[in-house]
Amino acid sequence: MKKLYLIVIFLLTAMSVSAQHNHNHSADNTLNTTEVNSEHSLYHLDAEWTDHRNETISLTDFKGAPVIVVMFYGNCTEVCPILIQDAWRLYSSVDESVQEEINVLAVSFDTENDTPEVLRKYAEYEQLDIPGWYFMTADDADIRTLAMMLGVQYSKKSDGHFAHSNLVTVLDEKGRIAQRVEGLNQPMDDAKSKIESIMAKLNK
Amino acid sequence: MNILTNIAPVKITLTVLAAMMLCLTNMVGAQVLVPSGSFHSVMPEIKGEPVEVESFYLDSTAVTNQQYNEFLQDHENWKPENVPSIFAYKGYLKNWENTNADDIVNPNQPVTSVSWYAANAYCQSAGGRLPTLNEWEYSAQLMDFESTADAKEFANRLMSWYSTFDNENMGAVGSTGIENRYGIKDQFGLIMEWVEDFKPVVADDLSLDCGTVGRMQKLGNAYSYAASIRYITRMSFSPKSTNSTVGFRCAYNVETMEDKKSNL
Repeated sequence: MKKLYLIVIFLLTAMSVSAQHNHNHSADNTLNTTEVNSEHSLYHLDAEWTDHRNETISLTDFKGAPVIVVMFYGNCTEVCPILIQDAWRLYSSVDESVQEEINVLAVSFDTENDTPEVLRKYAEYEQLDIPGWYFMTADDADIRTLAMMLGVQYSKKSDGHFAHSNLVTVLDEKGRIAQRVEGLNQPMDDAKSKIESIMAKLNK
Repeated sequence: MNILTNIAPVKITLTVLAAMMLCLTNMVGAQVLVPSGSFHSVMPEIKGEPVEVESFYLDSTAVTNQQYNEFLQDHENWKPENVPSIFAYKGYLKNWENTNADDIVNPNQPVTSVSWYAANAYCQSAGGRLPTLNEWEYSAQLMDFESTADAKEFANRLMSWYSTFDNENMGAVGSTGIENRYGIKDQFGLIMEWVEDFKPVVADDLSLDCGTVGRMQKLGNAYSYAASIRYITRMSFSPKSTNSTVGFRCAYNVETMEDKKSNL
């Protein structure tokens, strides 16, 4: 009986904690719709990244135009190529003039295997070693931070593969999350219009 | 010190001194090797198969207010007045009077009210990372009990601790007397701790309802009930959460530590 009592007490505590966070969360969402939310830019993440061209980059390099972000890993042969293709579908759905402006970041969370060299081969294999596309790696801690900011979950399994979420994110010109497409093979219409509307606003 | 000189032979005195210094460094921040092994998780998807964990180093105690303050002196961007709201809710370090170096309240208590982002940044700057959920849980259950009765009693203590969290009278790190067989202290009895992947990937399928605990695996050991509570509490966190009961300690890859040692 005592045990039951404890369970109830604890769950109530846990729920009130959760309720508090939900409350905070909705406050965030409200902020997101106003103009004064540059605070919520992912570009606050002040990390050094290396891309598949072995060049050092930082996220703020991409400021000023929309960015498409996916998180994946190279040894993932079933799901990740689809995820990368999803990013390509979105990218190729916008006008060429827009393609020239925007960038695509494919961030690997497998720091053990996905060196810049491996990422270069991956990009070449996927025929995506093209301008505006960046296959990137960094410190584990920075990759995990980016994942937290995007809401991407991943965890390494004992067989060396990763359990992970499948998410394509569009960032606006300031690095704020503008659109999220969850799951594989999803329609990209909303994300496409989002990119186009941001570009239209920027080119006014 | 008088006692030491009274023991006479210099050799012994030195040994005692060395031992004392070892003890002192063990109080705060020693990095301890946790050898590889496996454990049973309470997560429903595991279905009785033990989770394998590779060897790693773990701080023997949680990061203290003092240690965190030192970090802030070198990383001004993590001071409460500078931290962007994307990295922490308003409660970040709310129990600190100020963040000046000379005036730290409760220096030896674990730092709490830190977001996941802040904890992650601290460990990165310390040359480590946050422990993974599996590493933390694995280390936590590496405790030896003399008898089943002892284990049961410990389980009861754990439950009452989780249900009567007292963050008003928090002890210093190393003060709980609870440690695993390798000397990792206070994983219970002091604070909840951030782990790298605090929301396991399956967490979306588990909601915070009263049935969740029931659906988790009952392992029939001292830990399973308390572990279920930890998993569920963690799932309620956001990476921006700044709870006054949540702190952290850092983990280190074995290769990183070996590199460090060979560079000395």
